[in-house]
Amino acid sequence: MSLVVDAVTKCFGSVVALDNASFSVEPGRIFGLLGANGAGKTTCMRIVLDILRADSGSITWDGRPNTELPRRTWGYLPEERGLYPKMRVAEQLRFLASLYGVADGVARAEIDDWLERFRIPDYRDRKVEELSKGNQQKIQFIAAILHDPDVLIMDEPFSGLDPLNVRLLKEAFLAMAKRGKTLIFSTHQMETVEELCEEIAIVDHGRVIVHGSVRDVKRAMGRRVVRLATEGNDNFIAGLQALDGVTISARRADFVELQLTAELDPETILRAALERGERITRFEITEPSLEEVFVEHVGRRAIDEEEGHLASLSRKDTRG
Amino acid sequence: MTGLLPNAFHVARREYFVRVRSRTFVISTVLLAVAVVAVVFLPTLFQASGFVDEPPDIALDVQADDLPSDPAVALQQLLTLAQAAGGEIVGRSARPTVSTTQDPAAATQAVRDGELDGMLTIRRSAEGDLTFEYLSTQNPMSATHQLVTQAAVSFAISDRLARSGITAAESQAIFRPPAFSTTTPDPDGPTQDDYGAALLLAYLVVIFTFMAVLTYGNWVAQSVAEEKSNRVMELLITAATPRQLLTGKVLGTGAAGLTQYLATVAALGIGLLANEPVSALLGVGGTGFPLPALDAWMLPALGTFFLLGFILYSVLYAAAGSMVSRSEDVQQAVGPLIFLSMAGYFVSFGALNEPDAGWVATLSLVPFFSPYLMPMRMLLTSVGAAEILVALAILVLTVIAAIWVAARIYSAGVLMYGQRVGLRTILRATRVSR
Repeated sequence: MSLVVDAVTKCFGSVVALDNASFSVEPGRIFGLLGANGAGKTTCMRIVLDILRADSGSITWDGRPNTELPRRTWGYLPEERGLYPKMRVAEQLRFLASLYGVADGVARAEIDDWLERFRIPDYRDRKVEELSKGNQQKIQFIAAILHDPDVLIMDEPFSGLDPLNVRLLKEAFLAMAKRGKTLIFSTHQMETVEELCEEIAIVDHGRVIVHGSVRDVKRAMGRRVVRLATEGNDNFIAGLQALDGVTISARRADFVELQLTAELDPETILRAALERGERITRFEITEPSLEEVFVEHVGRRAIDEEEGHLASLSRKDTRG
Repeated sequence: MTGLLPNAFHVARREYFVRVRSRTFVISTVLLAVAVVAVVFLPTLFQASGFVDEPPDIALDVQADDLPSDPAVALQQLLTLAQAAGGEIVGRSARPTVSTTQDPAAATQAVRDGELDGMLTIRRSAEGDLTFEYLSTQNPMSATHQLVTQAAVSFAISDRLARSGITAAESQAIFRPPAFSTTTPDPDGPTQDDYGAALLLAYLVVIFTFMAVLTYGNWVAQSVAEEKSNRVMELLITAATPRQLLTGKVLGTGAAGLTQYLATVAALGIGLLANEPVSALLGVGGTGFPLPALDAWMLPALGTFFLLGFILYSVLYAAAGSMVSRSEDVQQAVGPLIFLSMAGYFVSFGALNEPDAGWVATLSLVPFFSPYLMPMRMLLTSVGAAEILVALAILVLTVIAAIWVAARIYSAGVLMYGQRVGLRTILRATRVSR
């Protein structure tokens, strides 16, 4: 019982939105779908949801093709938020729940429960257009989960939320995962992915270029990160760069971050420092951050390119 | 594929209640009802306020001797008869008055002052023939003017007959109208008496169908475009199939439109019922709305054509609405449909003049035209049941095909944003989407 995306290809005219994309998600996991703008994330989600049909390839959940699954299997939070602006919150949510076959009494109770959880019970009978963006987004999230779907697919669920609301939403994510739900979401906030996701896939130009558990993905980078702080002056640190396989990746106020190739033992750095008689206040061996993984694979240049491209592209929605 | 229910019902219910509770709907319904009531009461109000001509009041100045009969009586009879037969809107108690005056100067002044409608002076010429002179401020084309002329002609003739020795009794026999009756070649068609009423109803059916297609079709297109522009569409399309959404949308909007129609018809009924007491209150005569005698099956048949025609056009309007991203662009997208419904509308007006024509019979089987032409033919001529059923069958098949095509366009169109999507792009997209 898992979600399997197998060799999916989708073209829009001459544009290849997905190119032989494959990945799988184990049930009960929180899965991050990463990629630059226009990489094919939204198209991929729409194909999983069977709003779009792939040119080739297949999607299965629990061994059954997605075209045969009941619609209530899926919950969807689209990138472009959309609700009826003039309908009242509860009325709107009840309508959307009814389309998934949720009994009205159940929907009412669930709506009250979630509004309470998101600390907006007073907005029950307000028109959606009267709500702030952040609160509209909470409503959008409730709309995606009211019918208790097995798989929740969310396109940029955190964008435009203030830190407090991000925390509320993260809590909701974890609560859903605890109940055995499978969550798939895309985001540009790498810290969020590090915090929530066990597994990720990185999509670039329609291809899945990285796929696996966060730890494996980081290990596969073939290098480690050392965070170092000493009481001495900077000369020592600048000198470290002379060592083979060491690059300084960041100078922060209270520490320096060094990238080490896999062959280099991090203790070499420690030893070098001790030999010079430096007083070490911090020495930490960690793995590269997801952001570094992402930049390494997708490339800084590619991201800039994409963003410049997007501004002039009016049909971005069909590519996502 | 999943069935239509219950999601089509949920969509229709939402559409209906949102629509019916909207301010636009309430205001336009009230305005329509007021307009209908106003139209019903307008004649009565005109009359009460004196806009409508009072019965004519005419003075006779007889300057000739040896007249065969009293010209005042003859003129009075003619005017009264015309009033009764003409079905014009006239006061109940008021009758035309014709009085012989002894004071032509005073009568002339009265005509000038508008107290009298006219003064007819009768003289005998040197040759012995009667001459007439009509003094009036009225339009020479007015009914009274023409009746006076007619009375003068027949009076002059009976005077000539009397002078050539024909007795009054013989003269009366000469002027007695012959037996005259009207029949139509079509025994099942509406009788001549009914034809006028049937024609009026046919006009109304054509106009109502056209207005329903134009107004409510536009509602459907606007509402689809709105769902696209506020992006709620992506949620809907995840939860329900395009066919469910499309069907629900058309039925919900249709039901709202029907509600508005029924409210209008109810206002019309109340207006008609209230017209008589109100007229009595105002002291003027009321007129009924002429209704032709209809067979029992006729109303459901008319209703079926109306509904099918509405559904046919609406699903296509929905497809057109799904092709644009903003509601401002809707008008452009529905252009061809407006053109099509206008074509049907104008063709029906041509057909009203010759409902028996062969081209009308042919076009009344063609979908897009049949919702206009077949009801009109049913009202004005006798159409065989087989022909009606064939037209219905073709229409039903076209509706099914239209729903299928529209659902494909819709499912491809709803996720396309950006510039107006051309039909070509859409058709290409329909091949790969569900």
